[in-house]
Amino acid sequence: MEHHKSRMGYTLCMLTLFMCGAVLFLIGFFPASYSASEEEKSIPNDRPTTLHGIKLEPPPPSYDSFILFLVDALREDFPSATSMPVAFARACEKLTLHVDIPTVTMPRLKSITTGTLSNFIDIALNVGHTEQLEDSLLHRLKQRNRVVSFAGDHTWANLFPSEFTRRAENNDSFFVNDFYEGDRNVTKVLESELEMNDWSLLILHYLGLDHIGHVEGNESPKVQHKLKEMDESVQKILDHRNFPNYLVLLTGDHGMADGGGHGGNTPAETLVPLYLYSKNCSKPSSGSKRYNQIDLAPTLAVLLSVEIPSLSIGCLIPEMLQSLSLEHEMYAYFYNAHHLLNKARVKFGHEKVRRSDYYTWYQNATLLHRQLLLPLRDGDGSGTSQVLYQNAKLNYIRLSREISGLLSESLVKFDYGFIVLGLSLTTATSLHIVLSVLFLDITDQLKLDSLKAGQLLVCTAMAAVLNVASHIFDIIFTSSMLYSILIVVPLALSIYITFDVAQALLKIALPPVYTRRLKLSIPLPLPLLVCFAIRTFTLGSSSFIEFEYKTWYYLGNTLILFTALRTLRRRITKANVELDGRHLHKIAYTCLWQQRKIFVVLILLTLMRYLHRFHAIRSTLMLFSLMLLWARLRKFSQLPQSIASGAAFIVVYCYRGLNGQVQFFELPPYLTSRIMVPTLVIFWCCLALVLVLGYRAALPQTRLDKRFDEMPPKNVLLQLLQANLTSSLLLAALLQKVQNIILLPTLLIALDETYKLCDAFGTSARKFSVRLVHVYKIIMTIFVARMFYFYQGNSNSLSTIDLTPGYIGQTSYNPAIVALFVTLNTYSAEIHSFLYLIVHTLRSDLRSVGIMQLQPPYSIAADSLVAPLYASLVMLPAAFYLCLMVGFRYHLFIYSVFSPKVLYDCYTVLVFYFVFLITSLYFKLFKQDA
Amino acid sequence: MVSRFDQQKTKHQLFHVSLSLATILICMTYMQYRRNWAYLGNFWDSLVVPIVFIGELLKVVLARFYGRIEDGVLTVKQRQKKAAYFTARELAGGFTLQFLCTLLYAFSCIIFGAPVLGNYEETFVLSLLMTLLTVSPTVFLLGGGGALQVCFCEKPDFVTKCEDTALNLFKYNALGGILGAWAGSVVAPLDWGRDWQVYPIPNIIGALLGSAMGNIYACTHVLYATARVYMTKKRA
Repeated sequence: MEHHKSRMGYTLCMLTLFMCGAVLFLIGFFPASYSASEEEKSIPNDRPTTLHGIKLEPPPPSYDSFILFLVDALREDFPSATSMPVAFARACEKLTLHVDIPTVTMPRLKSITTGTLSNFIDIALNVGHTEQLEDSLLHRLKQRNRVVSFAGDHTWANLFPSEFTRRAENNDSFFVNDFYEGDRNVTKVLESELEMNDWSLLILHYLGLDHIGHVEGNESPKVQHKLKEMDESVQKILDHRNFPNYLVLLTGDHGMADGGGHGGNTPAETLVPLYLYSKNCSKPSSGSKRYNQIDLAPTLAVLLSVEIPSLSIGCLIPEMLQSLSLEHEMYAYFYNAHHLLNKARVKFGHEKVRRSDYYTWYQNATLLHRQLLLPLRDGDGSGTSQVLYQNAKLNYIRLSREISGLLSESLVKFDYGFIVLGLSLTTATSLHIVLSVLFLDITDQLKLDSLKAGQLLVCTAMAAVLNVASHIFDIIFTSSMLYSILIVVPLALSIYITFDVAQALLKIALPPVYTRRLKLSIPLPLPLLVCFAIRTFTLGSSSFIEFEYKTWYYLGNTLILFTALRTLRRRITKANVELDGRHLHKIAYTCLWQQRKIFVVLILLTLMRYLHRFHAIRSTLMLFSLMLLWARLRKFSQLPQSIASGAAFIVVYCYRGLNGQVQFFELPPYLTSRIMVPTLVIFWCCLALVLVLGYRAALPQTRLDKRFDEMPPKNVLLQLLQANLTSSLLLAALLQKVQNIILLPTLLIALDETYKLCDAFGTSARKFSVRLVHVYKIIMTIFVARMFYFYQGNSNSLSTIDLTPGYIGQTSYNPAIVALFVTLNTYSAEIHSFLYLIVHTLRSDLRSVGIMQLQPPYSIAADSLVAPLYASLVMLPAAFYLCLMVGFRYHLFIYSVFSPKVLYDCYTVLVFYFVFLITSLYFKLFKQDA
Repeated sequence: MVSRFDQQKTKHQLFHVSLSLATILICMTYMQYRRNWAYLGNFWDSLVVPIVFIGELLKVVLARFYGRIEDGVLTVKQRQKKAAYFTARELAGGFTLQFLCTLLYAFSCIIFGAPVLGNYEETFVLSLLMTLLTVSPTVFLLGGGGALQVCFCEKPDFVTKCEDTALNLFKYNALGGILGAWAGSVVAPLDWGRDWQVYPIPNIIGALLGSAMGNIYACTHVLYATARVYMTKKRA
């Protein structure tokens, strides 16, 4: 009746399929290039030259030189009279720009240069790979052989490899530890360019502020210092003698969140200033008006006298057109309106446009414009009517706004074929694994966990038919033959799994008589179920996603406290039965004292919430936590191994000390920079030593002397996994922020005590069930891991990803290592909890808590129950959330709240997938018991 | 004889339930009268705790009132217990128990995310209310030692039938109150920006509503049982 065959392979298959489904879903939900499918050719590229029979002249450039002064992460309240005195006092116009999400650099640069919105998935492209643009302001400038010079962020060079006449980009825009070097180079370029004075557009992109924000937060004193430096650069431009006729735009690509990161949707991130400087400016208007960042592209195009980029859907910024003559200004409005109307015609069709309000506005505006132009053409400019002018302008502006808004909305386009495919694959997979974990009998009957060739063949045939049919009826679009054939694979697999699930569900539901119903093969205690259900269903609310950590803290603590109190009550009752009501308070006191540790853990868990306040004592805290961690690791390592890990911890402290983050010997700076790399080399040596020692202790008996094979074979696996856990904890100690290191030993302590509590709870029950203990431990692990994940400072907003650990010991930007380190740091709690759960299951022995009945053996469940159940509990909420996403696809917060969460969720499953893959490999290779 | 005794029990139960519901109704009326709920977390400014306290006392008095019928048929142990009700030892025990319980509730509040020291008054009021809803009635009825035994023994032999009825009903009250206060936190993360979303208010109201729900559940049980007895009698 009891099944103990390993189900690692099956679980791995299911996880793989789930990941495939999730990737398909993401492809469908965030189409990577929506603009490619649009027919752009039908939009005329040239500027219009006639208006109702009157010939129009495109105006010449209105300024000789333009400088785009871009400060990365310059948020709206940063420039002020105290922080940037010159820039603040001498600005002609102070406007506010609204930035669209995602608030990361690459999509923002696209918006500034092309005037279109970016896709959410651009975030993924922001780190690492970038695509080249087809058309932008810079392309148009290049066509006219105008000189464009650039200095600053490397991202520009990726976006525009050949559009700049001269360029001086930084080497690494992602190397966040560089605060000053890159900016100094940009200023140098600025000085030389000011002398040359042959360009029409100069782009400067300063990165230092963003880096300071990422590493030290927005409150850092370095921010003010940096702003002063920016101010000096602005002053250099304004005071330079070479420029009679210039326009300087000081703006930021995105803002900065309160923690110092960016990527989210808070006003601090989405509002940036736009300050304009020119020689003869009118008096600045007092009210700060707000425009969109995409409005920059068409406005600059008009001012530079080039065509508006074909993708642009922005309006014009009236404040920037004030220097133009009346005729040129009207031409600019007309041109942009004309452009937008053409875009609307392509997008919505001629018929719909003709029936719309904005079309009438357009006709009104052009007629008024014509009336305005007629007296001008006759020679005397005095007869222009202000009424006509204002009226035409107003009509142009409102029609542009309207079309711009409509076009922005319509950019959201979903690929339903992929969405359905991905969704069916993920949902079916997670249901499949849940069913096979819950109902072992059905799994046996239907052979759910082994591949059935016949069924697969039938499913493939069905998938092929379905694929052809949906191609004929245009449900699925694919760009090439290869893709359309490849689609058969996920289609076949999802049909296969759906078929299995349907069969299993039918079996479960078919005998409607209650007594003949199939029994669950694992117990599902109500409190766990309720907490898990609450955790799953609160994903449907945007505020619960924003404050997800509250849910986890609340539910996790509830579970622990509830279990502790129930255990306490059971123990007291049990002790009381023998004593028959006498000395009850003494018994209660004794039992409470026995359980003191779990209450200490609860207090610790509460304290961890206030971790960010311990900044002042971080040196002490770090020493203490390293010692604590070492003492914890001492439990599962021999002496040489723990000496090595102790050395590694000392090196970690030295490294932080050299960086100036904790108290350390005062060393001269040149020495510090020289010692830094050897320190890290020592750390890596220690880490390797720990790993090698651990493996050596585990493996020799297979090689040397088989006769003295005293260790049971399972211990090999256990020791290897322990060595892995130890070294990964060491690495995490290096990567974590200084005050976060305390989380590592606390996590181990909390998990340990929780497991003890679960054991006690299981043994105090009237009927002991091994599976119940397992289920409790698994769910507790998930909750505790998630709590620590949030203690660390993570959230569901992309702005809290801590990029700093990716650069520890690196001198250049290496995407693979950065990604690995950042992932290890961000998900350290979840990775270590899972590893610790497996190690605990393998090594624990219920004899210690007084259970002699070891049938079935406790530790054998590691790969037959613990891993599959854990995987299914990770997958099920993610699948549920993907379903929710489809329902919420037109929700107001879809891009700001729900989409980052879906990326996080899928990434969590991916991380779990890799951890699981490695663990199951070890199981496959080293588990030797038959 | 049996039917008459049953009738007494049903009457007791119904009176008990209506007392609890009335208490909560009075609380709600009082809150409605005061309009602004921000005072709910204040110890000296809020009448909710005294109202609930009086309500619980009345329930105990009710149990005593119905209990006087069985005075003649008490066992020795029950008699002893009754005699020791007002001794200093029992009083001190009861007081200590309630105090510890309040501490436990305050601890849980902080564990669940209440500010550690910032809102100590609100936490105190909430834990006082929780104690009043859960432990106090039992302590008032049986004294400190008795309450402990009821909590941790299968079936203590000093409990009279009438007390047993009351204890059963207290159980619903307590469970409802705990669940309600726990579930009340659900509004905390929501971004509605209402002034009643501030920390102790949803939990206090949740506790009151929860105990009301518990009482309504108990009431339906009682009515259902009575109706079944009535139907079988009629059929017979």
